[in-house]
Amino acid sequence: MNHATAANECDIKAFCCPKSGNSAEEYEDAWAQRQTRTPAGIRVAVVDGATESSFAKLWAALLAQSYVRSELAGAEFFARLQPARRLWRQRLAGRPLPWFASEKAEQGAFAAFLGVQIDAHNNRWTALAVGDCCLMQVDDVGKRMRVLKAFPLEKSSQFTMSPYLIGSRSNGEPPHERIQISKGSLRDGDMLLLATDAVAAWLLKQHENGRPLWKWLYRKLGTPESFAAMVAYGRKHGLRNDDFTLVRVIHHDSPVAAKER
Amino acid sequence: MAYQAEISRKNPGCFLFLVDQSESMEDPFAGGNGKKKAEELATILNKLIHNLSIRCAKSDSIYDYFHVGVLGYSEDSCKSALGGELSGRSLVPISELAGKPLRIEERTKQSDDGAGGVMEQTVKFPVWFDPYGKGGTPMCAALKDATKIVATWCQEHPQGFPPIVINITDGEATDGDLVAAARPLTAVSGEDGSALLFNIHLSSTAGPSIELPGDASKLPDQHAKALFDASSTLTPFMVARATELGLPAAENSRGFIFNAQPLHVIHFLDIGTRPANVRLR
Repeated sequence: MNHATAANECDIKAFCCPKSGNSAEEYEDAWAQRQTRTPAGIRVAVVDGATESSFAKLWAALLAQSYVRSELAGAEFFARLQPARRLWRQRLAGRPLPWFASEKAEQGAFAAFLGVQIDAHNNRWTALAVGDCCLMQVDDVGKRMRVLKAFPLEKSSQFTMSPYLIGSRSNGEPPHERIQISKGSLRDGDMLLLATDAVAAWLLKQHENGRPLWKWLYRKLGTPESFAAMVAYGRKHGLRNDDFTLVRVIHHDSPVAAKER
Repeated sequence: MAYQAEISRKNPGCFLFLVDQSESMEDPFAGGNGKKKAEELATILNKLIHNLSIRCAKSDSIYDYFHVGVLGYSEDSCKSALGGELSGRSLVPISELAGKPLRIEERTKQSDDGAGGVMEQTVKFPVWFDPYGKGGTPMCAALKDATKIVATWCQEHPQGFPPIVINITDGEATDGDLVAAARPLTAVSGEDGSALLFNIHLSSTAGPSIELPGDASKLPDQHAKALFDASSTLTPFMVARATELGLPAAENSRGFIFNAQPLHVIHFLDIGTRPANVRLR
């Protein structure tokens, strides 16, 4: 699966694939992007539906869409999830489910969330996260690309098996300490990577081990085939079997600069 | 390193429960509010299968992450304790188990009404297994049957997580040497390690329990020591889970509880049916 768009001064490409052994229908991550007017720019969300929960794919998609259609970029976004939760319940209502499925659905679906608002004109970004989907900002200055930011987790060792997740049945916001917010500035050519946990942890691990893939991701990743090749390489080199979602955003600080590149 | 295999539909986990159905199981369970051991155990096992089904439920179906069997031993034989359409089956994929209970009862449970009060809620309670207690305790026969079942399983799933066998009894084997009967079972192995055998000894008296011991020094008699000797060491993940539940687990802890009360059984089954720190896929 692969999508590519260009919006304002950002080139956005998204790549995803299901766990090895699963079908495409069983992929439970979601991503979404949308241009915004205030501030002028773009919003991107990456959401990882928890495998252990039921109807997580639906919940992940609703969360991603809720973010890109919202104007809220801070913790207050999570206080406005009632419509998404209502939609999730409505999609299940009236559906004849066997006892185990209805009981599991009662527990709700869960997902990790990352949303990034890019203010393209002011060259700023604001990221909002609950759980372990990760944003990595890498610059394109000099021979070695530098990691300017990894958020909300900075090292591969910080990924755990039990991140805090957003539930489709919960009421209200996640606890304050679970909501992570970060802001940063963008320079021409900066690359933002939004990734679900397995691929983010692996990219950070490669970086920590002195085998960074940033340059390859910047210059070579472009087609579903190239993403598949990266995943195949990763599976032989420590990439955990999971659904993978990676959204690459390359920022250009002006249309002129974009053309020159 | 052993006990690291991922549980998946391709490489499912295997849980086999050996259940004492001898006459003494009709006696009251210490800490069981006057209920018989057989009754309390049936409720706990039904609830466990229920929970495993829920864990594997995915949207409107169930993924076969686990295959589960229940063998009952009583009088002079051992046989599958599953009834109805599953009668006689040794290991059953969890989706089939969930779809074919003996019956679905309606029970009431109390829950929070959201306004500071308590309300009664009717819940579905599937039953796969009814209480039963008669005759002697042919535990060695059960271990022998279990050995055959797990050996076949390991041949068919050589890369999977090793089978976990949980024996629940209130007494001593009446048909031979328990430790000798257990040895072939724990010798069955696949690429990820040997089959695991855990033992729960149920209490008839309110005496103190001994949970997950690392050595046999505090066990009161030779029958308890035999159950200890027959028990496998917990895997590191199980030790971590036991610690989370407040049980005194250490690196050398055996999967054994002596003089267990109902809550111990529930906790132990939780520990014993969480093979490794893996995400189900």
